[in-house]
Amino acid sequence: MQPSSREMQGMAGSMNGGISHSVAVAQIALRELQNGHGGRQIPNSGPQASFDDGASGHDDFLDQMLSSLPSSWAELGNLKNPWDPPEAGQRIFGAGLAGETSPEEPSAAAAEGMRYPPYDESSLLANRLRQHQISGGSSPNGKAMMVHLDHQSQQQMLLPSLGRSPVASGDSGLLSLPLTLGTGGYDVDAPFKSLNPTGGEGLFNGLGGPLHRAQSAFGHPQGGASMPSQNFTAAAATGGVGQAASASASASASASAGGGTGPPRQKVRARRGQATDPHSIAERLRRERIADRMKALQELVPNANKTDKASMLDEIIDYVKFLQLQVKVLSMSRLGGAAAVAPLVADMSSEGQSGAGSGGANSSGDTLTVTEHQVAKLMEEDMGSAMQYLQGKGLCLMPISLASAISTATACPPRPLSSSSLSSAGACHLGHGILPGGPHLPSPSGDAPASPGVSALTAQSAMANGAAEAAKEAVTVSKA
Amino acid sequence: MESKSSTTGNRDNPNRNLHGSKTMMASHFLRALFRIQQTSTSSSSAGRSRRIRRAAYASMAYSAGTRRAWSRALLRKLRSRARLRFPRRLSRAATPQRRDMDQAQVLRKLVPGGPSMDDCKLLEETADYIRFLTTQVRLMQTVMDSISS
Repeated sequence: MQPSSREMQGMAGSMNGGISHSVAVAQIALRELQNGHGGRQIPNSGPQASFDDGASGHDDFLDQMLSSLPSSWAELGNLKNPWDPPEAGQRIFGAGLAGETSPEEPSAAAAEGMRYPPYDESSLLANRLRQHQISGGSSPNGKAMMVHLDHQSQQQMLLPSLGRSPVASGDSGLLSLPLTLGTGGYDVDAPFKSLNPTGGEGLFNGLGGPLHRAQSAFGHPQGGASMPSQNFTAAAATGGVGQAASASASASASASAGGGTGPPRQKVRARRGQATDPHSIAERLRRERIADRMKALQELVPNANKTDKASMLDEIIDYVKFLQLQVKVLSMSRLGGAAAVAPLVADMSSEGQSGAGSGGANSSGDTLTVTEHQVAKLMEEDMGSAMQYLQGKGLCLMPISLASAISTATACPPRPLSSSSLSSAGACHLGHGILPGGPHLPSPSGDAPASPGVSALTAQSAMANGAAEAAKEAVTVSKA
Repeated sequence: MESKSSTTGNRDNPNRNLHGSKTMMASHFLRALFRIQQTSTSSSSAGRSRRIRRAAYASMAYSAGTRRAWSRALLRKLRSRARLRFPRRLSRAATPQRRDMDQAQVLRKLVPGGPSMDDCKLLEETADYIRFLTTQVRLMQTVMDSISS
């Protein structure tokens, strides 16, 4: 026993400080267990107010909890399956804890309430495991349970300890188990967070998680001498399961009533709006819409893990202010290297500026693809922005039929720019009925007289994207 | 596919990544920067920074188009040549007690076109505004990096 406790202390030392407190209490709890090896059922660990010294104190607490919910106590008395009614009993337990933690603010409970559950959980679980180990030599089960808990370092410690005799292994398993649970709760807390609105119950249910998995690995214990105590401890342990995995069939009946005092409390309040009253319907609709918007905003704003709407709004406001400040700062610091902006601009819209007269016919092949790709990308998203982009460059999209008609009609264009842009723009293969086909995509310089500074737009890729409706846009050519 | 044919298509499609608007924003902003550099090489630095900031918001509003209330309000402000009044950090003398009561008010002051929106629309516009703001900031940072390196 002693070496194992020292071993446990060593393990405790290696863990982070956040859980050391729970570990310490678990240590104390287990030392008490070892002292009262064959006889005592419930550990007398006393640092927390929930447990008084001595078994009697614990019984008082038990009675106090059970008196609040007599119906579930009746279920607890039913001992046919030690695993099922425990969930009912645990519901009481959980409700008691919920009563402790729910009045506080979730953030406060996150600090304080998280202290409470692990001790009760770990000590009760430890006891249950001990009973289980003693009764049946379930080292493979125990091992399986350990493996389920996701704390690797502890698993390594557990496996060798489980190699000993069942009883001893039970103890060492006990020693290690609460620790794994203590950390397991922290580890698995994240996946269970969605189920736990209040911070206090978060860890509690997180512990119920690994417990739930462990439960499935256990099988049915042989029932030892102290059946009621075992039931109660099992109850205490598995009640967390009932709350966390509310979907679990076995816990549904009991958890719904008892757990209903906890998390679903908010749901009940929301649903209480009378369906018949139009005002409340509209109110509810409005609130739902606002909730949707807030959720969308939460994805955008960093540090958006606040559950409180007011603090979320504060965060949003601060973020908007921050972004605007960033724009201001960046604009102030951009003054120095202004000369280097020129190559960037030239790269971006190399050919797009009409009237530049730079003989862009030769380079039109290159520039075509750049603009074309840009427009293609834009068209994927939104036709309007694509049109705006084109207009910004002095180009337009039009159906090929119109363009070809215009180009054939006008032999000698009075305004070289406009007509040539027409004809070059006419090379837009935009999924209209008159499409020549993919490969037949001449560079516009081949078709029309070279238009300086006006590049044609071949939206072959756009066509490939099925932007058929773009062909309907018969916009007048706008010279930029 | 229906959303592509109308300019209001983006109202249905959340367009979270602003794929289409990014290139437009970039080209517009760069052209504006170029113009500023060419025309005001001798002007004061304060005036230049103001112009650059104005160009940033202009490219934001321009790429957002007219389908958003905030971009419409922003474009209106730009076109009317009014002084672009941005909320300053100096007015941080607000009491810490500004919790639930006027949070919506504060947000309305920040987002352009805010005062004429109800709460639901305000949140929606704020989300879009934040998206465009982050894109613009990233764009400006990229330009700055490419300039200084």
